[in-house]
Amino acid sequence: MRKWLALFMIVCFLFALVGCGDDAPPPAADDDENGDVVDEAELRVGMVTDAGTIDDKSFNQGTWEGVQMAARDFGLETRYLQPGGTTEADYITEIGNLVDAGFMFIVCPGFKFETAIYDVQDRYPDAKFVLIDGYPHAGDWDPVVKENVVSIFFTEHESGFLAGLATALQLGEGEVGFIGGMEIPPVQKFSWGFQQGVLYANENYDTNIVMQAENFIYEGTFENVAAGQQLAAAMFDKGVDAIFAAAGGVGIGAINEAKARAAAGEEVWIVGVDVDQYDEGIYETGKSIILTSAMKYIDVATYDMIQAELDGTFPGGEILTFNAGNYGIGIPRENPNLDPEVVELVDEAFKAMQDGTLVVSDEQGDLFR
Amino acid sequence: MNNIVEMRDIRKEFPGVVACDDITFQVKKGEIHALLGENGAGKSTLMNILFGLYQPDQGDIYLRGEKANIANPNIANDLGIGMVHQHFKLVHNFTVTENIILGLEPTRHFMINKKTASARIAELSKRYSLNVNPDSIISDVSVGMQQRVEILKMLYRDAEILIFDEPTAVLTPQEVRELMKIMRGLIDEGKTIILITHKLREIMAIASRCTVIRRGSVVGTVNVADTTEEKLAEMMVGRTVLFDVEKGEGKPGKEMLQIEKLTVEGTGGGHGLKDFSLTVRCGEILGLAGVDGNGQSELVEAIIGLRRANDGRVLIGGQNVTALSVRDRIQIGMAHIPEDRHKHGLILDYTVQENLILKNYFTEPFSRKGILDWNYIYGHAERVIRDFDIRAGEGAHATARSLSGGNQQKAIVGREIDGNPDLLVAVQPTRGLDVGAIEYIHKRLVEQRDQGKAVLLISLELDEILDLSDRIAVIFNGELVGIVNVDDADENMIGLMMAGGKKEVSA
Amino acid sequence: MKTRVRVKKDFTMSLFAVLLGMLAGALLMLVTGSNPIENFYYLFRGGLMNIERIGNTLATATPLIFAGLSVAFAFKTGLFNIGGAGQMLIGGLCATAIGLTFSWPKPILLTVIVLASLFGGALWGALPGVLKARFNVHEVVSTIMMNWIAYWSVFYIVPQYFKGPFLETESQRIPEAASLKIPWLTSLFSGSYINLGIFLAVVCVVIISIILERTTLGYELKAVGYNRDAASAAGINVNRNIVLSMAIAGALAGLGGATFYVGFASNMQIGVLPSQGFDGIAVALLGANSPWGALAAAIFFGLLHTGKGFMSAMTVTPPEISDTIIATIIYFAATSVLIERNWNRIKQYSPVALYKKVRPGGVDSTAGGEQ
Repeated sequence: MRKWLALFMIVCFLFALVGCGDDAPPPAADDDENGDVVDEAELRVGMVTDAGTIDDKSFNQGTWEGVQMAARDFGLETRYLQPGGTTEADYITEIGNLVDAGFMFIVCPGFKFETAIYDVQDRYPDAKFVLIDGYPHAGDWDPVVKENVVSIFFTEHESGFLAGLATALQLGEGEVGFIGGMEIPPVQKFSWGFQQGVLYANENYDTNIVMQAENFIYEGTFENVAAGQQLAAAMFDKGVDAIFAAAGGVGIGAINEAKARAAAGEEVWIVGVDVDQYDEGIYETGKSIILTSAMKYIDVATYDMIQAELDGTFPGGEILTFNAGNYGIGIPRENPNLDPEVVELVDEAFKAMQDGTLVVSDEQGDLFR
Repeated sequence: MNNIVEMRDIRKEFPGVVACDDITFQVKKGEIHALLGENGAGKSTLMNILFGLYQPDQGDIYLRGEKANIANPNIANDLGIGMVHQHFKLVHNFTVTENIILGLEPTRHFMINKKTASARIAELSKRYSLNVNPDSIISDVSVGMQQRVEILKMLYRDAEILIFDEPTAVLTPQEVRELMKIMRGLIDEGKTIILITHKLREIMAIASRCTVIRRGSVVGTVNVADTTEEKLAEMMVGRTVLFDVEKGEGKPGKEMLQIEKLTVEGTGGGHGLKDFSLTVRCGEILGLAGVDGNGQSELVEAIIGLRRANDGRVLIGGQNVTALSVRDRIQIGMAHIPEDRHKHGLILDYTVQENLILKNYFTEPFSRKGILDWNYIYGHAERVIRDFDIRAGEGAHATARSLSGGNQQKAIVGREIDGNPDLLVAVQPTRGLDVGAIEYIHKRLVEQRDQGKAVLLISLELDEILDLSDRIAVIFNGELVGIVNVDDADENMIGLMMAGGKKEVSA
Repeated sequence: MKTRVRVKKDFTMSLFAVLLGMLAGALLMLVTGSNPIENFYYLFRGGLMNIERIGNTLATATPLIFAGLSVAFAFKTGLFNIGGAGQMLIGGLCATAIGLTFSWPKPILLTVIVLASLFGGALWGALPGVLKARFNVHEVVSTIMMNWIAYWSVFYIVPQYFKGPFLETESQRIPEAASLKIPWLTSLFSGSYINLGIFLAVVCVVIISIILERTTLGYELKAVGYNRDAASAAGINVNRNIVLSMAIAGALAGLGGATFYVGFASNMQIGVLPSQGFDGIAVALLGANSPWGALAAAIFFGLLHTGKGFMSAMTVTPPEISDTIIATIIYFAATSVLIERNWNRIKQYSPVALYKKVRPGGVDSTAGGEQ
């Protein structure tokens, strides 16, 4: 028995020895001269994923694509980590890992990072943080944005409005529904904006689009693909023609269901979210069931922040809003499934938003949940 | 050199025991060679080594004069060794053919070709007069037939050396006679048989030579023709064995167990009890005879408190216990040696000392305020181990599983008798035990009687009932057929009663 | 009472399993084109390199200790508790509910929280126990169902009664007074999430090992676990013991829930079954179902989980592969049962045995009396 123990110890010791002797390729984390090793020119950019995977076809992926774009353009080293859970402690752990590994510019997509960023902005004053869809607070929603943090918001309601308007105009007549992931502000705003867009079309362009409360649903997660498929199937069965799926992986399930139905000859649509999901919706015929997508230019925002850091203009301490005004949201430039007239009308609405003549509410009001 | 099997200086150790201590064992081609020994003597281990289930720590095996390295049973099969295990290894919802070809299915275009196999099995069955229908489902055929399927399995794999592990343990006398006929047939066809057994009568009836093993060592190999049952028994046990139980006159006292018009439901198609009444007195052994499945299990369960009585009463020492729990009955003075020691008697993963307190761990001095006193428990175990001659490799700390069957049973008997009960319900107390252990347990049961305890002995072995009982009750179909004094009874009469023939003799 | 030999053997077995797991992990690293030595170096460094990370390792291990203890305890008594996740949820829900409802002084509040989570978990465990005892419903089925009942109960109750002003999907933040994190401990481990839970866990390990090894209760529970028929024939009330065993297992997991939701985490999220509930099975397996074994195994797993991120950050191994590597190590480590089964064969080929074989006239005491 003792021999086994000894053997184990030896193996452990060997690991430690070899590890120490090894000239570790990335600079050792606890190096005191951390600042010297990582000079400004070689900014190392890290990202911690929110719930869901890096290839979630929406939020995480959008952020990561922004990081990658910047890495290509500026020759940066990048890395993402995936937390073991979704608690604040899990997020802080991964942020700490990145910092310890010398990644001093960290992008965190998602409101769930709010309290974690609040913690680490003091803990790692030398690191810079970009928090998307949230602002740091201690759990009391009282914003405390330090000089090393930028908080980014998008006007999801505007994006949702444009998608809703486009959907209503393209369908002309029919019924629409909504599948959300978690019931959190960005997703809610998508829904409310979408509803306003549809109503706007009904009032101003004589469309006849029906919305029913029971077809505005939050699945509760961003991961449950199977549940998304089931919810979508149920809605399509009830006669819904297009579903706005703002739900990460759950939305992928809805897209899969729509693809299956479209392949079988049914005419059903999904409205994508966060990024242009057109390619996700392509089925056998080469067509896509993605009518359009309510986009947030997360990649652009991420890219801009990295560029700003390299230029020395990192807007630390600020809460930025990306909206129609600064082209932070919108529907895709290419919309093969929308008629040109529809695109034109949506463009009009976009311009109206920009000059302030069209205001979309970011509150529920009389709308569905 | 006509030794088909030769095992030289085989040694095999398990933690705490030497199962085989330099055993040398030779089998001639074409003989039936019996391997005799008490339970735990090492005969099964030796055969498992030959069959490739164990690797010897030291020693060599020669087959047909050539050294063989039998690393696993597949190699044993390839070398022409087959084994019929004590517990058959058959898939119950498969047909005979499917069971036999399992593992070497003849295929054609990836389809199992059952027809070819079936024809070959039918032919083998005919050649060895096994009388097996290849298309029967295993669950539909009798135990004796299942055993023949196992034999066919070996023959189908062209085995030349056939090992039978306690083949008669599960058979009725009639089936035993059939088996012997089959074995002789196999020998006539040039096969060699190794027969593991502890039943002397069978060896005398069929084997040509016999090797006796005691505590891991070979005592000797003898020609059966030159020996007697008594001599073999002496070799096996190491001393003269008394086949008859010494037993003086009984002095029956007051009634200890009274069963009054007891009616219980049966399980799984078995018979329950109907209006069953029986009385066991202090200072007597009452034997309950009957063919298996006629309500014995239900009766036992009703007495010890595991089965609810639909009607009637059970009294122990005059106290009505019908509604009491098992534990209450134990505390009144009931002890129970169960039929299935692995299922009901022992907790195999517990150590001997833990098993010995199974019924009184919660009482002082074994525990105080819910805390076990391991020192006391250990001391107690050491004493019981000594008193009841329980042999275990690691003594009180050995797990019950590591004990041989006989020693497991001794541990149960030790536990039950050591509690000084007034009533002892002993069910098949010597099932599967060897001569030495049987003798020992019988002695202890008689001793209990002589100390004025009431003993209810339930057994399927008529010999045992006749040897030990003062009175014999016979059960059939859940009803009491009758009770006779042992002096008035003989095998034929009891046998008739067991078949349901009414014989009203009051006792 | 387990003999020393047996414990030692279990320990060797588990150690061997861990080595095997790491070997398998190393193989996977090689296959994915990364350097195993470098990876393992950063893996262990990530879990141990400073006091904060050691604290995090222990904090990560805490709920695992409870979950592992729960599974091991139930297993000792012959029951397979797959319901750890649900029991943790309920324990956590009780803790969260009390923490967010009352504003008592910290010592009182924490005591009540611990007790409430204990009873909540116990109830959640006892229910499958009752179903098993009364109706012979297999506990694997019923505990899994109880997981989902807990999941959806939390899904409903948290947003309904305990949600924060903006978020529908998680409870308000646990107030300082209701958190198992305490300032001196946090600062002792320089800002780690370590909390009182680790002490609670060690206390539970001690209590459970005493119950199992020294009390009549443990004796009964194990007897029922090993052989139900023999136990009932010996007069032990099997049904009572099944319910009791499941209740204790549930209570342990419930406590684990408290340490997770008001200790490690700082609020309760809906829509997540805590993975620790299931990891507890692996913890129990690696720990050979002994309380102390579970403690050690949980800390080892905590180390892996904590070090994993650092490994990904310092090497080119992507996080998904790291997850796979950790899962592989855990999977292999949990197969100590298989190793036990083949132990003799393994021993035969061990360096020690081979050495003995080649060296003539070994001084080994068992071979001394030969010839």
